[in-house]
Amino acid sequence: MTWKWFIKIITDYWPMFLRGAGVTLYISIIGTIIGAIIGLIIGTIRTIPQSDNVVKRVLMKIVNAILTIYIEVFRGTPMIVQSMVIFYGSLMLFNINMDKMFAGIFIVSINTGAYTAEIVRGGIISVDRGQFEAAHALGMNHIKTMLYVVLPQVIRNILPAMGNEFVINIKDSSVLNVISVTELFFQTSSITGNVFRFFEPFLIASIIYLVMTVTVTRILRFIEKRMDGPENFNVIPGNQMQVARPEDLVKKPGKTGC
Amino acid sequence: MDNIIEVRHLSKSFGDNEILSDINFTVNKGEVVCIIGASGSGKSTLLRCINLLEKPSGGEIIYHGNNVLDNKHDVYAYRTKLGMVFQQFNLFNNHNVLSNCTIGQMKVLHRSKEEAEEVAMKFLKVVGMDQYINAKPRQLSGGMKQRVAIARALSMEPDVMLFDEPTSALDPEMVGEVLAVMKELAKSGLTMLVVTHEMGFASEVADRVVFMDQGVITEEGTPEEIFNNPKEERTREFLRRILRDAKPD
Repeated sequence: MTWKWFIKIITDYWPMFLRGAGVTLYISIIGTIIGAIIGLIIGTIRTIPQSDNVVKRVLMKIVNAILTIYIEVFRGTPMIVQSMVIFYGSLMLFNINMDKMFAGIFIVSINTGAYTAEIVRGGIISVDRGQFEAAHALGMNHIKTMLYVVLPQVIRNILPAMGNEFVINIKDSSVLNVISVTELFFQTSSITGNVFRFFEPFLIASIIYLVMTVTVTRILRFIEKRMDGPENFNVIPGNQMQVARPEDLVKKPGKTGC
Repeated sequence: MDNIIEVRHLSKSFGDNEILSDINFTVNKGEVVCIIGASGSGKSTLLRCINLLEKPSGGEIIYHGNNVLDNKHDVYAYRTKLGMVFQQFNLFNNHNVLSNCTIGQMKVLHRSKEEAEEVAMKFLKVVGMDQYINAKPRQLSGGMKQRVAIARALSMEPDVMLFDEPTSALDPEMVGEVLAVMKELAKSGLTMLVVTHEMGFASEVADRVVFMDQGVITEEGTPEEIFNNPKEERTREFLRRILRDAKPD
């Protein structure tokens, strides 16, 4: 009877599920954040305006070529294959035995970075030229313009796309089971080995995945709304203790949409 | 009179298309200079060349005796000395009104937060936007945005203010409030270089009017000379057209 098994597996193995879900969340949160930072840095580098200096121009060409190769390689190969190549490759070629958790975060990060680089580039292009010009007119250089004016707007603009990346990472970190990272899929597989049943443990795992992705999506939507703030701005009179007279209320500037 | 900016033989071309050729003029301390002319005559490009948002193709821009087009000249330091007001306001969307006016002071001039806020509040009061310090740009009307943009430029305490058609993107009923602020500033002795289509403003406030046509300065003089007694045929033609359009049927 399936239902009985379902209850039994949950009651017997809930700590394993929970630990797996925790590892999955941990890897995807850290991986998405580091990936986003990589993407923001690459996006900033790729939008540096062309210099008049020949040496700098050649240097920029080389850096851009390297970044392009990075993006193409990591977007163009499956993460499951990358995990194998990086984990066992580093062991064989450089004799580095990576910590499994570190390897998992590393792989998810550089993968997300490759995707985010393009998302960020799109985000930077979509910021109005006038924002750059106004910052330059105040005497800001490229880095300051990016840090204080452009990137904060880019981050707001790419949040929906980053939410997507986050959800993808929660799901796709399951491929890390091939290098024995103890995330949710790996834990579920171990449980199936104990109970000799496949349907119920994986049904539970899929419910946990769904809960995680839906929750993350909702939280990000909430953050977006918070960042946008209200549509209108109402002036608060200078002396708030004073009771407003009728003529004040008439004069008070109301909704000031544009 | 000591001149702040002297433009010598300035030229600018995009590919084969020559936008400006052999521009010569000076801006003196405390002076209000208005640049007028038809659309596409190169007025805005000239202004953008002066603060190096566009790189001039040739000529010199002398600022306090130094050529800013010299490669060794610090472009960023030079730009802090020029306040720029754009046609499209270009307020930083991610900052509120107050921090629009303080960010440049803090990050470029390295002023402390308290000092920057004090300076910003002083100029926000001048433009009448001190009640809106917590508002985000998208919550403001066009005229309000432009007044904040003026305060932002003033907060850097520049030597010269450059205005690039500051009222062209505004609804007619908001033009007045921005022009009123600009008149106030002109009276206070601020050095201003204004590209404008507002002939009334130019004739009332300007010390000198520069008329541009097809990338060259055709005529330059006091408002009386330009508006009442233009020497060049092109200037006369332009003014006739403008005044005809301005008249109500």
